[in-house]
Amino acid sequence: MSLEGWTPQLGPYLTLEEVVEHAFDYRGNVTVVSTDGTETVGYLFNRDAGAPEPFVEMFDEAGQGPIRIRLADIATITFTGKDTAAGNSWTAWLERKDRERAEKAAASGA
Amino acid sequence: MSVPLSQMVTVASYIVRQKLARRQRYPLVLMLEPLFRCNLSCAGCGKIQYPAQILKKHLTVEQCVNAVEECGAPIVAIPGGEPLMHPEIDRLVAALVAKRKYVYLCTNGLLLAERLALFTPSRYLSFSVHVDGLRDEHDDAVCREGVYDRAVGAIREALARGFRVTTNTTLFDGTSPVRMRAFFDEMMSLGVEGMMLSPGYSYSKAPDQEHFLRRTKTHALFARMLDRPKRRWKFNQSPLFLRFLMGKHDFDCTPWGMPTYNMFGWQRPCYLLQEGYAATFRELMETTEWQRYGHRSGNEKCQDCMVHSGFEATAVNHTFGSLRGFLETVVVTLTHRL
Repeated sequence: MSLEGWTPQLGPYLTLEEVVEHAFDYRGNVTVVSTDGTETVGYLFNRDAGAPEPFVEMFDEAGQGPIRIRLADIATITFTGKDTAAGNSWTAWLERKDRERAEKAAASGA
Repeated sequence: MSVPLSQMVTVASYIVRQKLARRQRYPLVLMLEPLFRCNLSCAGCGKIQYPAQILKKHLTVEQCVNAVEECGAPIVAIPGGEPLMHPEIDRLVAALVAKRKYVYLCTNGLLLAERLALFTPSRYLSFSVHVDGLRDEHDDAVCREGVYDRAVGAIREALARGFRVTTNTTLFDGTSPVRMRAFFDEMMSLGVEGMMLSPGYSYSKAPDQEHFLRRTKTHALFARMLDRPKRRWKFNQSPLFLRFLMGKHDFDCTPWGMPTYNMFGWQRPCYLLQEGYAATFRELMETTEWQRYGHRSGNEKCQDCMVHSGFEATAVNHTFGSLRGFLETVVVTLTHRL
């Protein structure tokens, strides 16, 4: 199941650290909303919760970066970008191949 | 083995130097990914699933050279993405060859013929062309028809111009050992220097999750495929790694053996798993919790992995780390019996 479009509700059952892990695992852009209200849209490629000052790192929508944001400065993260890992290219390829083979067989039989 | 003598000597002396320095962990091959974009979209690939702004980016030549210096490995493999799409790939390769690094430029072959003029043949440069089997199998694996023929055409052209050419082949569930034996014949007939084989790793981001080999199947496939190998087949990799794939060795992974550098930094812990990035090679080596990885660690992500990037270094280390391993390698090489 894709997380595309997800707006996490942080609370006792979902921590910011867990959302960061989901964002790190997500192959699409996310929006990091800071505690001061500013938003950074981009690809979150790294995080370190064990660092002296835990952080996430991103490349923004223009590819600029790395941009480091302290975890303490993040209010939430939303999954606003298209999930580029989602899809069924293998299935689509097999279906197309099967269709082409069937068409070829039908043509040669006609 | 088909690795040139000069390369063997370079690698052997490098390993001896590491052992004399009592270095426990050292890299053998740097996996340098200068970009992620590709002109194919293979179902088994987890490397190209990124948003557009990431696919548009690439490392500069200077960033790449710095990473090579920092790492110190004698061999640099350049995968991707498709590295021939890098706008300065010729300058990058020339810089690494000037540093006497053995470069394996991994390519799907689609752009190779037209880009050959950018390069100069050298014992330090080998084009490692991705071919996953005979025509039908390969075109299925890369999800596009006609790719096999173009890759083979490019191999012929590169060989005719005096370049070193090897092939690299990823094997998936359902592979026919008989067809693969025919494939080995075909590649050797083309005149490639050697072939590299590896079972695929099930990237969690790859669209196709059903066709990756698990350990038992890997042993069965490789045992049948490499049974009584023909003398003309040459493999550009450690014979002990091939024996491991056949189930004749119980190696564990050496995740630091082939470290990966790309636009995100030094990838933890290996080429296949992406669990974070370190800013420097030293940080990668010193702060990664290596004991959490490998078959014997119990990490479920590592249980079925038998990929060359983790185990080839183990096999090479076994060769140079023990008299038994060295003798075994010599015997296998001389008798050509895996």
